[in-house]
Amino acid sequence: MITRRAALSIALVTGCSRSSAKRLNVFNWSAYVAPETVPNFEKQAGAKVRYSIYESNEEMLARVFSGNSGWDVVFPTHYIVPPMREQHLLADLDHTRLPNLKNLDALFKSPVSDPSLSHSMPYMWNATGILYNTNQGPAPTSWADLWAPHWKGHLTMLDDPAEVFAAALRKLGHSLNSRNPVELLAAQKEAIAQKQLLRAYLNTEVRDQAVAGDVLIAQLWSTTAQQAIDAAKHLAFVYPKEGFPLSLDCAVILRESPRQEIAHEFLNYLLEAGVSARIAETMRTATANAAARPLLTQATQSNATLYPSPETLANAEWFATITPDAQRLRDRLWTEIKSA
Amino acid sequence: MKHLRAMFLAPSVFFTVVLFLIPLTIIVSYSLRTRGVYGGVVDPWTIENYARLFDPLYGMIMVRSVLMSLAATALCLLAGFPTALFIVRNEKHKSLLLNLIMLPFWTSFLVRTYAWMFLLRDTGLINSALMAMGIIKEPLPLLYNETAVIVGLVYGYLPFAVLPIFSNLERLDKALLEAAADLGAKPWEAMFHVVLPLCAPGLRAAGVLVFIPCLGAYLTPDLLGGGKSIMIGNLIQNQFTTARDWPFGSAISLALMAGVMALLIVLIRRDGEEAL
Repeated sequence: MITRRAALSIALVTGCSRSSAKRLNVFNWSAYVAPETVPNFEKQAGAKVRYSIYESNEEMLARVFSGNSGWDVVFPTHYIVPPMREQHLLADLDHTRLPNLKNLDALFKSPVSDPSLSHSMPYMWNATGILYNTNQGPAPTSWADLWAPHWKGHLTMLDDPAEVFAAALRKLGHSLNSRNPVELLAAQKEAIAQKQLLRAYLNTEVRDQAVAGDVLIAQLWSTTAQQAIDAAKHLAFVYPKEGFPLSLDCAVILRESPRQEIAHEFLNYLLEAGVSARIAETMRTATANAAARPLLTQATQSNATLYPSPETLANAEWFATITPDAQRLRDRLWTEIKSA
Repeated sequence: MKHLRAMFLAPSVFFTVVLFLIPLTIIVSYSLRTRGVYGGVVDPWTIENYARLFDPLYGMIMVRSVLMSLAATALCLLAGFPTALFIVRNEKHKSLLLNLIMLPFWTSFLVRTYAWMFLLRDTGLINSALMAMGIIKEPLPLLYNETAVIVGLVYGYLPFAVLPIFSNLERLDKALLEAAADLGAKPWEAMFHVVLPLCAPGLRAAGVLVFIPCLGAYLTPDLLGGGKSIMIGNLIQNQFTTARDWPFGSAISLALMAGVMALLIVLIRRDGEEAL
């Protein structure tokens, strides 16, 4: 019995020491890699990848904040990167091990959240705009169109305070990251006025309802909107002329990770043009990888929802990291909107 | 002998401590600290999270949650009592009918709530059928309002109302009904003056079993209410997600728990522990 146990523990120890080189734990958003992305990396690197998914930044943060989460690579949205860095959760990226960083689109080579890419690798991005039914009257062009009374009962907004405030602030001509209480109160007033017209506050669930025709116009993320448009010809998407928010999901390596080397290898692999193009094409997301763009189908390359023109993008504004005080004010205003 | 007693007690002590007392202690300690930058809790210790509970904004949400839960509870009792009576009187198929009541629990609550969305949508089953029959021209706005939330709550918790009323009715001595009839009471008089009063503990237990989970509901108001009117459960959920304010979320949870506890104490005083 003792000998068996001893043998087991020896096996465990050796197993562990070997696995630290040959194993990688990746925690990513759902539907964010192609089916063959991870298996191909396992073959190429001779490693075993434990891959799991989450649905929100908060869900990921709750696991990672405790330290000792066991994850090596996670994918925060860009505005989550600075606080994660301040909490010393992120490892420094070694650019000598990431030669494929050169593939990145110029727009994402120096994001506001991490200008030198010292801790985060831009992965996929999306923007917020308006999905609408082309059979129902004039096409919307602005956020203000979401306040038009004729949409009553068929209009949805995202169930997300940052997004609803962004639309209302931009409608009023303010920065969507405004922290000015006067501007925020004015935006809240707009949101409360709009609530009479609203069918619901919905996130990705709106996709099926827009396809079915229950919802005629919706504030929505470009990538989710594209999935709806793929399923229904009567839908189209527009970037509002007042300006709109941009979000960039980034890959980071956790400081706690004992597998820095293979984690870098994985990040560099994701930056390969072919790998990135396959993910973007199969998952209908927008890649931050310029080298991958020519490998996409013609139709995808010229898709103005996933890849808006530079003129349209000039109107975009990055979501900024929100301070705890500003967040608390915004949450209070949001709760007031919800109970209005 | 002592050894044996400890052995039999161990599992329940284990569950009480590990699954109840330890998490509860964690929540209490969270509720007394300061929010972390992005979730979590940090020092210093404070009672500010409890002070915030007295904000009228949160009071209003609480009041609305109580009213919605009361409405759902009343409807559950109204539907649950005749259902339980029917099952008790149906000697032949009693266990079959009871199993049918339990049947919905075989699938997840989330999936069943989604099924309600498919029923209530503009292009859903009910509106399509009514329009096909020519009864309505425009789809009725069935989904995404407070009525839809109450329908969802009633649907979800009706079995919790039927079962305690059923067990109470089953214990009822049938001779009492015969006595009432002998003394000249018509069946409906016997129902109101004999059955209902004797069934009061069952009705109260059913009410509590429905009211408490309704009060904490967050899935139903979210999915069937479309996020337009929040209940206390959504407020708590928001604190742990978008608002990233765990201490305040913990404080609201504990306040809710204290309210529920007070209600239970009042009822136990009244009916004795067997009522629950």
